[in-house]
Amino acid sequence: MMDRSPKPPEALMRAIAHDIRPVRPSPQPFRLALRMVPLALLVSSVIVLAIGPRHDLGILGPLLAWGASAAQFVLAIMLVWIAARESTPAGRLPKQVVYSATIAASLVVVFVTLLTFSTSPANEPLLRVPPRINEMLRVSPWIMGFACGIGSTLAGGVLVLLFRQMFRNSLATRPTVAGALYGAGAGLAINAGWRIACPVSTPWHALGAHGAAIVATVILGALIGRFLGNRKLQIGGKHP
Amino acid sequence: MSEGDRELRALMVRYQAGSLEAFEEIYARLAPAVRRYLSHLAGGSEIVADLLQETFLQMHRSRAAYNPKYAVRPWVFGLARNVFLMNRRAARQWAKVYEPREDLPEFAVLPEAERLGSQDQIRRGIADLPPDQAEALLLHHEWGFRFEEIAGMLGITAAAARARASRGMADLRLALNSLHSSQSAARESFVRKLLKRAGA
Repeated sequence: MMDRSPKPPEALMRAIAHDIRPVRPSPQPFRLALRMVPLALLVSSVIVLAIGPRHDLGILGPLLAWGASAAQFVLAIMLVWIAARESTPAGRLPKQVVYSATIAASLVVVFVTLLTFSTSPANEPLLRVPPRINEMLRVSPWIMGFACGIGSTLAGGVLVLLFRQMFRNSLATRPTVAGALYGAGAGLAINAGWRIACPVSTPWHALGAHGAAIVATVILGALIGRFLGNRKLQIGGKHP
Repeated sequence: MSEGDRELRALMVRYQAGSLEAFEEIYARLAPAVRRYLSHLAGGSEIVADLLQETFLQMHRSRAAYNPKYAVRPWVFGLARNVFLMNRRAARQWAKVYEPREDLPEFAVLPEAERLGSQDQIRRGIADLPPDQAEALLLHHEWGFRFEEIAGMLGITAAAARARASRGMADLRLALNSLHSSQSAARESFVRKLLKRAGA
């Protein structure tokens, strides 16, 4: 039913007329998620190149080393796609799909961690650094955990900020959920690269340090989403 | 895709290209229906005019977020829903939203329900339905959205949207029927009393 109505109120027209510059339409959610791929690949590759690949890649084999990382990377992009759908007013996915994807992503991380440990239970921090540092890391494994946790959180944080820029037009009903989803995508994409570089595969390290970093990026994304969402949709907010 | 939808998409594209006239036309076509939807969501609160203005302002701020592949009406209705929910969340102390007016929100009587009761009875019946059922029922029967579109707006499956709308319609029918039965019973007992008095 589309009946004609009176003209828009004067104040609204003034605000619109004040800022009627042409804009470029956003891509659809799937294309938006694909646009994240080069960014996420770049940050992940920089990590692998900076730290160097782990010494037991031969034992893990290409499937468990690169294949598992590729699977995590695909899941990360899928989470970003779900976040993009969640940010489209009429394009939201059912809640069950959103929660199932999140649980599936968590289970994949745990499964890959345990499989990696069972195949190569490496707990020696063999990095391409002077032996003295490797010895120090071996004596105090928490330093390695701390370094991995902080490092992946920072890298994930950079990616969350880049994603946020791409999601600047987000119109999510639940901006915290949308933010948490692209935060999870960022964390998972970083983990996909980081696990190729990190020489320690013990579950407490992989889940405690790397897992904590993923959780941190989820929280960061959720906070950014919530803050920007609340600021955006407030009556009497900043008008153009 | 209907002719109306094609025209709306073309208008949105012109609006994104910087046409003020296109915005006015979009407003003219969508504002009345969006107002009624917001009125339903806000329980007829006086804040509806502000919410409507905010919806179109938000549409303007985020016009780049629209992709010409989307149908315009579900997109704008979804946006209106966001505006309502976000503002309710952001301003819990904002009592006006929670102050439903005495008179019920205005919307056309559903064609399927027209023969079941008067406009006022139907409005009251819809107001008594669980909110999720009432919303799905109105989005489908009053504003003509497909269940897939409703699903995208509400974040549920199309099957769930269909179930909510049909449960709502069944409950509405039941409520109106029982209202009629109680009214007939009251009428009958009144007539019986009159006859008794006349007999005495």
